Amino acid sequence: MKIDKRKLYHLDWYLILNGLVLFAIGIFNMFSATTSFYSGSYGFIMKQLVAFSIGLILIFIIIQYDYRLIANNSKWLYLLAIALILLVLIIGMIAGGAKRWINVFGISIQPSEFMKPILVLFLANMLYEKKRENQKLSLRDISMPMLATLVPFVLIVKQPDLGTGIIIVLTSLAILWFVGLKKSTYALLISVGAVIPFIAWHYLMKPYQKMRVLSFINIDADPSGFGYHAKQAIIAVGSGKFFGKGYMAGTQHKLQFIPEHHTDFIFTVFGEEWGFFGSIILFLLFLSFILRCLKVAQNAHDELGSIIAFGIGTIIYLQFTINVMMAIHLAPVVGIPLPFISYGGSSILSVLVSTGLVLNVSMRRYMF
Amino acid sequence: MENFVKDDTTRESRKYKCCKWLLIITIIVLAIRLWDLQIMKGSEMRKLSEQNRIRIKKVIAPRGIIYDRTGKIMADTRPSFNMYITPEDIRDFNQTVDGLAKLINIDREDIIDKMKIASSFPPSFPVRIKSDISMDEVAKIEANRVYLPGVTIQIEPKRNYPYGKMIAHMLGYVSEISDEEVKNKAFKDYSPGDNIGRYGLERAYETYLRGKDGEKRVEVDAMGREVRTLETIEPIPGYSLYLNVNLDIQLAVENAFENKKGGCVVVETKTGAVLALTSRPSFDPNKFASGITKEDWKNIITDKMHPLLNRVTQGKYPPGSTFKIVSAMKVLEEGLINEKTGFSCRGGFFFGNRIFKCWKKGGHGSVSIHRGIVESCDVFFYNVGLKLGVDRIHEMSEIIGLGKITGIDLPGEINGLVPSTAWKQKAYGQPWYEGETVSVSIGQGAVCLTPIQLVQLSAFVANEGVNFKPQIVNRIVSSEGKTIKTFEPVMNANAKFKKDVFRIVKEGMQGVVNEPSGTAYGSRLQNINMSGKTGTAQSVGEKGKNLGDHAWFIAFAPAEEPTISISVLVEHGGHGSSVSAPIAKIVTENYFKENTQVKEARIHENR
Repeated sequence: MKIDKRKLYHLDWYLILNGLVLFAIGIFNMFSATTSFYSGSYGFIMKQLVAFSIGLILIFIIIQYDYRLIANNSKWLYLLAIALILLVLIIGMIAGGAKRWINVFGISIQPSEFMKPILVLFLANMLYEKKRENQKLSLRDISMPMLATLVPFVLIVKQPDLGTGIIIVLTSLAILWFVGLKKSTYALLISVGAVIPFIAWHYLMKPYQKMRVLSFINIDADPSGFGYHAKQAIIAVGSGKFFGKGYMAGTQHKLQFIPEHHTDFIFTVFGEEWGFFGSIILFLLFLSFILRCLKVAQNAHDELGSIIAFGIGTIIYLQFTINVMMAIHLAPVVGIPLPFISYGGSSILSVLVSTGLVLNVSMRRYMF
Repeated sequence: MENFVKDDTTRESRKYKCCKWLLIITIIVLAIRLWDLQIMKGSEMRKLSEQNRIRIKKVIAPRGIIYDRTGKIMADTRPSFNMYITPEDIRDFNQTVDGLAKLINIDREDIIDKMKIASSFPPSFPVRIKSDISMDEVAKIEANRVYLPGVTIQIEPKRNYPYGKMIAHMLGYVSEISDEEVKNKAFKDYSPGDNIGRYGLERAYETYLRGKDGEKRVEVDAMGREVRTLETIEPIPGYSLYLNVNLDIQLAVENAFENKKGGCVVVETKTGAVLALTSRPSFDPNKFASGITKEDWKNIITDKMHPLLNRVTQGKYPPGSTFKIVSAMKVLEEGLINEKTGFSCRGGFFFGNRIFKCWKKGGHGSVSIHRGIVESCDVFFYNVGLKLGVDRIHEMSEIIGLGKITGIDLPGEINGLVPSTAWKQKAYGQPWYEGETVSVSIGQGAVCLTPIQLVQLSAFVANEGVNFKPQIVNRIVSSEGKTIKTFEPVMNANAKFKKDVFRIVKEGMQGVVNEPSGTAYGSRLQNINMSGKTGTAQSVGEKGKNLGDHAWFIAFAPAEEPTISISVLVEHGGHGSSVSAPIAKIVTENYFKENTQVKEARIHENR
């Protein structure tokens, strides 16, 4: 298939460049995070680069097809993702514990990561007409989107992967808000939202999850467990001071007591080595990426593209914010990767697929 | 396609503004928090990160102690100094490695190898570089601590065998778990540097002896030194074993075996409790506990004397004349001969076109079963064997438990063999020849047994048809003194024979030691009536070179009411009468010296 030159011309090079810079920072940062004095970290880096290459191929494939066509078929993608998540649960049960990955030809895949962009497509396809006609969503209107969100949410939280579950729910709420809600619907969602924390606390959350929340409120509640990790993470970031300790010179992050320091706690590595100065630059890069997504949403050719770009922007925003907040003790610890930066093939692929969708919307903004 | 397009091209901008504001506020909140952490509290945090690091350290649980039946320690733990390197804390890798290699006796390559093995663990995980370093080395390292950041010395419990080479085959040894084992799921509870029971009781009772390691959360300074302990989970010491073994008898046997090759086992006749078990040559289990050097290990495994073979449970030997007891019992039980039946011995026995010789060249003349046993006349038993046929000898052996494992609580016990026609057909696809029965009847030919099986034979006669599983461990006790498990006697054989069978065989065995013509008369005791049977088994050494016969002696005592059963083998030792019987004599003397109170009480009762 040959790509239309006009479309290539309209490709959002700014977004691409922004994403590449973030990914490059991620690679350098991970090299430091996973290197000790006698063993290199080429294994991690190689896997990340392989995932990135696959992601680029996926982007190329995605932008060939009109996003309207992809959205039209999103229910099949949705069902496939649900099936894969179910498969994870089944295989996980055999292993006797929590499992988020399935093994496909020796490569472990985390299907819940892909649920995020797929759900955005699915919801956008469901709701764009309402938005086009400027209809405010009634209770009945949101029942299907809510159901479509709750099914994967329940399955993912069961894995257990609370972090991804939270991202999914917040993203679809944001999309509903973006499309527009009736006042009565607002009222209902807010009142339900007010009750949910109590139900979650008493019936849904596992003791270790409660402990994370408690140790967030009082960092000394679990001095040898989560609170302890939180404290060490703060020390790592804080010790970076203004300009940081320098690349590869961080000491705190390499210690055993910062768990997942190359995945969910990756920001502690960056914060320690690049300090306030580097961190602010990183924040600005994320800010610019998300703003660009919003701009694509605003300028999209139609409401379908607008919702897709908005939804993807929301995912990146939520993951970035929550991930950084938990590293600096502004949010309880839940497992959420930092887009572009954290180690993890599925996470990188999901982010690149999402970027591909935004590019797709952006390059077709002048199409009639 | 038209459906997608919004009629009104101006898009609602209020929501976008809202989003932009939310984004900006988020970044501001994050920046304020970072400012607070990195600028306002930065110096404090930097200090914390440099000076206070918290490590989770394993506190090794002391291994359970092994006691003899009287509470004397046979294996315990002692403090030892182990040197660790924490990769995370090293400043200059080459300086540290070269410095250590200069200070203590260790190769640079050794250090690097060990650190490579541990590279899959977090860099804050201390890697054990050398175990059990000397006080001198400790002093050198401490004196040069400033130049060796990341190097620490831990005091940890180490397995200690006070009797060294003695008792090694029974106690076994522990050694560090290997890299391959750590990766194996079967050892998922172990981590690098952990010790694991490899052999003997250490292996058989590993799960009880090991205990559960504790954990210590310690604050360390920039040099890796402990500043203070924040939290400790105490280790749970391993359970202790109380053995049936009597250390004094054990040591007496060990001494009797000095410079000999072979083994001896002594059991309580009425329970199967093992009082002593020795195998020689031996090895020093302490060397393994401290991390055996490559050279020592090579020496042990290439030693032609096979010091790691427990000859009592893993050595197969032709039993020689001790096996005549089996033929004697069966022939009497079957009623094929009686006490008075005599066979003529002229120093040889013609069968087929061969002469089977008696050990006494001139012959024994007319021999009854009593003299046959006492003087160990081969010709008498050639006749007996032919009357019985190999299958009946095999059947009798099965009842006693010969040729199969006894179930002693040591790993790796082997079977041995008492042939039968079916066995030969299966093994060689050939029929059995009667000439082979002639050899089997005196414990030669294809018969091969272990010393532990022969003590079962001795106990079987002593108990008149009953023997018990040999058990070394009596009970398992927790560190608080609570009994976790007791091992009751387990009957292995329980056969009913005609009463005369045991009377005649026992009288014969008593005669072996106590009648002037008996083959073990030289080992008789003044006060105690020991019964026994000698055996001198021909063996073909490597490359057909005859290294000398195996010397056997099985015994029980006292003859009237047996309390102990003994089996002695001296590999290539010569004659059972002159080499092995004296060892049984030492055992018996020691046992009754040890148990004089028991003896006196009995005498008193008899009055």
